[in-house]
Amino acid sequence: MAISLTCDGATRRDFLKVGAVGAGLSLSGFLRMASAGEVKGAKATSAIFINLNGGPSHMDTFDLKPDAPAEFRGAFNPIKTNVPGMEISEHLPKLAQCGDKFALLRGVTHTLGAHELGTEYVNSGNRPIPSLEYPGYGVVFTKENQDTAPKDLPPFVAIPNSSQRAGFLGVQYAPLNTGSTPRPGQPFNVRGISLSGGVTIEEVERRQNLLADLDKTFAGVEKESQLLTGLDRFSEQAHAIITSRRAREAFDVSKENPKFAEPFGAEGFGQSCLLATRLIESGVRFCSISLGGWDTHGTNFTTLKTRLCPTLDTGLSALLNGLSQKGLLESTVVFVTGEFGRTPKINQRSAEGGRDHYPRCMFMVMAGGGVKGGQVLGESDDKATMPKNEGFSPADVAASFYQALGIDHTKEYHSNTGRPIMIVRDGNVIPKLFS
Amino acid sequence: MSIRTLLLTLGGLGAACLLATARDNSARGDDQAAAPQELLPVSQRFVPSDVAEEPSFQRHVSPLFGRLGCNGRACHGSFQGRGGFRLSLFGYDFKADHESLAKGDKPRVSVDSPLDSLILVKPTNEELHEGGERYKKESWEYNVFRRWVEAGAKFDAAKDMQKLVRLEVTPSEILFSKSGETVQMKAVAVWPDGTREDVTPLCRFQSNSDQVSKITELGLVTATEPGDTHIVISYDNAVVPVPVIRPVSDKFGEKYPQVATFNKVDELVIEKLRKLGMIPSEVASDAEFFRRVSLDLTGTLPTPTEVEAFLADPSSQKRAAKIDELLASPAYAAWWTTKLCDYTGNNDRALNNTMPVQGSSSQIWYDWIYKRMADNTPYDKIVEGIVLAKSRKEGQTYAEYCQEMSEIYHPDSEKKFADRDNMPFYWARNNLRQPEERAIGFAYTFLGIRIQCAQCHKHPFDQWSKDDFDAFKGFFSRVQFSQNGARDKETQDQYKEILAKLEIPVDARMGGNDIRRALPEKLKQKMTVPFGELFVMAPAPQNRRPNNNGNQNRNRPPAAQAKARILGGEDMNLNDVADARTPLMDWLRNKDNPYFAKAFANRVWASYFNVGIVQPPDDMSLANPPSNKALLDHLAAGFIEHNFDMKWLHREILNSRTYQLTWQPNATNAKDERNFSRAVPRRLPAEVAYDAVQMATASDAKAATMRSDLKNRAIAIAGASAQNQGNRAGNAGFALTVFGRSIRESNCDCDRSMEASLLQTVFLQNDNQVLSQISGGRDTFAEDLSKKFRPKLDPNNKAQEVTNIGREVAKLQVRIERVTKDENKEQLERLQGRLAELTKSLDDLTAPEAEPMEDAPGLVKQVYLRTLSRYPSPDEMKRCTDYLASASSPLEGAKGLLWTLINTKEFIVNH
Repeated sequence: MAISLTCDGATRRDFLKVGAVGAGLSLSGFLRMASAGEVKGAKATSAIFINLNGGPSHMDTFDLKPDAPAEFRGAFNPIKTNVPGMEISEHLPKLAQCGDKFALLRGVTHTLGAHELGTEYVNSGNRPIPSLEYPGYGVVFTKENQDTAPKDLPPFVAIPNSSQRAGFLGVQYAPLNTGSTPRPGQPFNVRGISLSGGVTIEEVERRQNLLADLDKTFAGVEKESQLLTGLDRFSEQAHAIITSRRAREAFDVSKENPKFAEPFGAEGFGQSCLLATRLIESGVRFCSISLGGWDTHGTNFTTLKTRLCPTLDTGLSALLNGLSQKGLLESTVVFVTGEFGRTPKINQRSAEGGRDHYPRCMFMVMAGGGVKGGQVLGESDDKATMPKNEGFSPADVAASFYQALGIDHTKEYHSNTGRPIMIVRDGNVIPKLFS
Repeated sequence: MSIRTLLLTLGGLGAACLLATARDNSARGDDQAAAPQELLPVSQRFVPSDVAEEPSFQRHVSPLFGRLGCNGRACHGSFQGRGGFRLSLFGYDFKADHESLAKGDKPRVSVDSPLDSLILVKPTNEELHEGGERYKKESWEYNVFRRWVEAGAKFDAAKDMQKLVRLEVTPSEILFSKSGETVQMKAVAVWPDGTREDVTPLCRFQSNSDQVSKITELGLVTATEPGDTHIVISYDNAVVPVPVIRPVSDKFGEKYPQVATFNKVDELVIEKLRKLGMIPSEVASDAEFFRRVSLDLTGTLPTPTEVEAFLADPSSQKRAAKIDELLASPAYAAWWTTKLCDYTGNNDRALNNTMPVQGSSSQIWYDWIYKRMADNTPYDKIVEGIVLAKSRKEGQTYAEYCQEMSEIYHPDSEKKFADRDNMPFYWARNNLRQPEERAIGFAYTFLGIRIQCAQCHKHPFDQWSKDDFDAFKGFFSRVQFSQNGARDKETQDQYKEILAKLEIPVDARMGGNDIRRALPEKLKQKMTVPFGELFVMAPAPQNRRPNNNGNQNRNRPPAAQAKARILGGEDMNLNDVADARTPLMDWLRNKDNPYFAKAFANRVWASYFNVGIVQPPDDMSLANPPSNKALLDHLAAGFIEHNFDMKWLHREILNSRTYQLTWQPNATNAKDERNFSRAVPRRLPAEVAYDAVQMATASDAKAATMRSDLKNRAIAIAGASAQNQGNRAGNAGFALTVFGRSIRESNCDCDRSMEASLLQTVFLQNDNQVLSQISGGRDTFAEDLSKKFRPKLDPNNKAQEVTNIGREVAKLQVRIERVTKDENKEQLERLQGRLAELTKSLDDLTAPEAEPMEDAPGLVKQVYLRTLSRYPSPDEMKRCTDYLASASSPLEGAKGLLWTLINTKEFIVNH
């Protein structure tokens, strides 16, 4: 996995990997059957969270200001979407064609201009504090849905890894990280899921039988120990996952119908979106995807135009269309955000200029799961420097995200220190998202 | 009336040893009558409607709000208040509460028309009250509030505020014998003027375990199940725990059997167990003891050879000798350095940009502590080196400091940071820059207490008030870390001078980041570069605006505070001392400090018994008393007496019979997890689990070196993120996260997770990292075996292979020569490794060939020893040899067996 450096010096995993093109097969029937019946009502039962690490420039993507002075405006022009009055960047043409599928939030605002802090905020809906680590959305979701999640699938998968920390809820709710992104048409090996080291299913069963016979040292006292009981339970579930054909098939993007897979493109991000679609289809409840590189202090416009915008455009539009095609968009809420926006005023670090960290004004995107698409909520001022009116906080959007998932964001947990902590402390649901 | 309830009383709390029942409360009054001037409780005094007494705001009105739940979090104690009325959470902010009642737009009291006061009409539901009816009209509660309002609703903080002398609680210990028994608690407040008042109806009561006893809001305790716990009584700023014990068998007290003890620790443990009627388990077998102590003390599995040698050793002193041997090993120093890095919060992300070379600050932190653990430097000395750290030595200029530091970083330098007297990075972390954050972190790290509650409100379970917190944080505002040296002119001139000499091309666009990126290269060229430094602000108060904007500018130094107070101490003027941390350090190591020695002793204990004597180990508070106070006192006193010798503490605990008990329970102690009557199975900590898998799957030769050679060991990873330069255990990042290695964010012990999880099991069962380690590769057990089990070659093939290897060796030698010339160390190491492998293969080829699988039982024994550190039972042996016989090949069988034993519970728990 390549490592890229963000401006504040922290090494971060490079979330984008490019693979080779190939063909695949279609999903087997039982896979589809398995997820039937889990969809009910208007509320989302699963979620895909996409983190745009580095902080994407709002003014060059989803909140353009063509009439702003030259030192703000930037090189890009807005284009119309398939929704009258809703305009986005000319470098997101495919997303423009599915504007009706997502809601665009503008004038989201906060004050944390460092990658680390901003990331924790937008991944948990809570402003970070030093005395405690807040759990990310997927972690809370996993805890809230532990009884209903399928037993032979990991409930929360991060592709390739996630900024959502387990925090005070504990590692038992942490995601399974795939560690890498799939390549088009090729079998995808996921640590822990795929069989490796030359071990066959038959050998796994032989070993499991031996294990069942030998693992008896604590027989009789197990019920007195939470730990031993837990280890037994996890052992059963791990076995179920490892030997589950459904799980292996779900991770194997090469099994996807080539026609369906084609719009996702060949890049790692697009393939991650494809994988997330398959996982949700087979019963995984929460997926997170990361697309990094948005920390464009230097050559902002070239990077966006040639690399980031096309990548996001292809992957996200294919994801929304794909979910919709499979009939999963109504039950799956998609949430896309970076940790902050970027300075409206263009800096002079390079000939073409760049943009720096800017939390006061940013955008977020939400779709599916009862969210009403084709609308723009909120507005920034003339130069996109702050919300025009009141604006939204990341906590408000987080509360709404939980709302879509049927989780009451005012519910309280107790931290390890016994302190009561609300899931999202300062958020208010944005009702317009759903109407 | 025949409930046999024994009430014990400690000396000094009055004479009370009596029988009581639920209905027999009145007996108390007579018994206490001997005490002078004791006022009857308000619940009696305020019953008559014509009562003339004026209640006190501090003593009666405010606590009554607490008792009725008015200042709870869901009600008016919420930070937003409720219905426009806010009280301080859990009370004790008398001034604010009084203002909130008597002043503002909508006062809750009406002195002119007392009966219309909202505090009378709302809680009685005369006027709609969201919180429902809290008391009845004309009740004593009503009369207390009414009389206070009628008398003018007075409170003057300066005049009326009094410091509670003590809260006398009887009984001071409760011994139950069966379910349903009850005891009524009584609490008497003693005030400076000598007033004694029965305040039982004004106290808040809680039981620490409903499983053992329940308590009503009026202080009636009821026995539920056998076991022990505490009930906690709070009034004003007093928090008093009272132990409740109900024996788990009939063998308690005088009927308790004779139990052997090795040392004082055992005596104190037994003293408690005797009360509980709980009999300790048997002493563990040598195999159980050795695996446990090896994992606990050195974070390392024993090798098969070590296990067999230990089991065969006939000496009666072998356990003590083994403890000494382990204490002297590098793995002990490494594992306990990791723990100290947890407690102190060695977090590489929080140390970003503190040194010119990324990641080096964390490594320095680790190495500095490691040296001291290896030397067994007294604990207080280590803490002093951290707490009083300053980057510059006495009299050193910034330029001299930078030169000294640069020399440490120069290639092939002999100089080591660990040789410096102190380690400044504890204070340099960017996530703990504000005095509040530092105060909270410091309390966790060095005191084992949690004071963050008091940052905003009276601590609900301890004596600390917001005022105590604010006074304490003053110690933490004068130490600062700056990437570019202190801000004085002299330093800044030197900084510029050093920078100028580096001739970094600086153009207008270049920011601090760009300069910083150029520095590592300059260090490689043996130049002197500027270094960040930790410095202490001058004592004179600076005339500046306080920094009140919280997170918005975390890098801006906070304003210095002139006055400060250690917890439980007196105010002091910080301008009288050169370094505000000095009085803090003096307090820490003072033998009367109630926390410092205990915090460490308790953590050491917790690492051996799954739980601390105080549990959680960093939550020493009045409401969370030790499960065995005498034991904790003994360990802390001994630790101090032995000049904070950490090895003394380890020996005292490990040589006890208590530590050496088996996990196998008897009829009395299966449920015990807090009184140390048996060993409690617990999951291996993340680093230890990772290393144990490595060790169980390593070749014999490799495994033999792992306790002394820390290279590639997870217990030798410096920072929190497990990305370590030059340590292959850096690949362990995923596994360590899954197993809950400490994230080192907050200095809380809870940053480490010891829970089990699905992903951990998936990792052990099917992660490629584990599977590949089991199935072969360099320095693995499978590689050892594959040589052993190699099919016999016919002599011709053998000759051919010898020739082939010979050729490759010749080629390698040429390459090695070349690489040696190029000074490519890394490649050289690799090639030499390969050469060693080939030489070994040659030796193997020419050696007489072993008959594979003749010795299946021997193989089973080997795999048991390297995973579970014991011999297999006859049943296990039979099952395993059957498995091996049915395997596709001896090697595959061995791999399957290794996989299986690594996936037993016995492997992943220490027991």
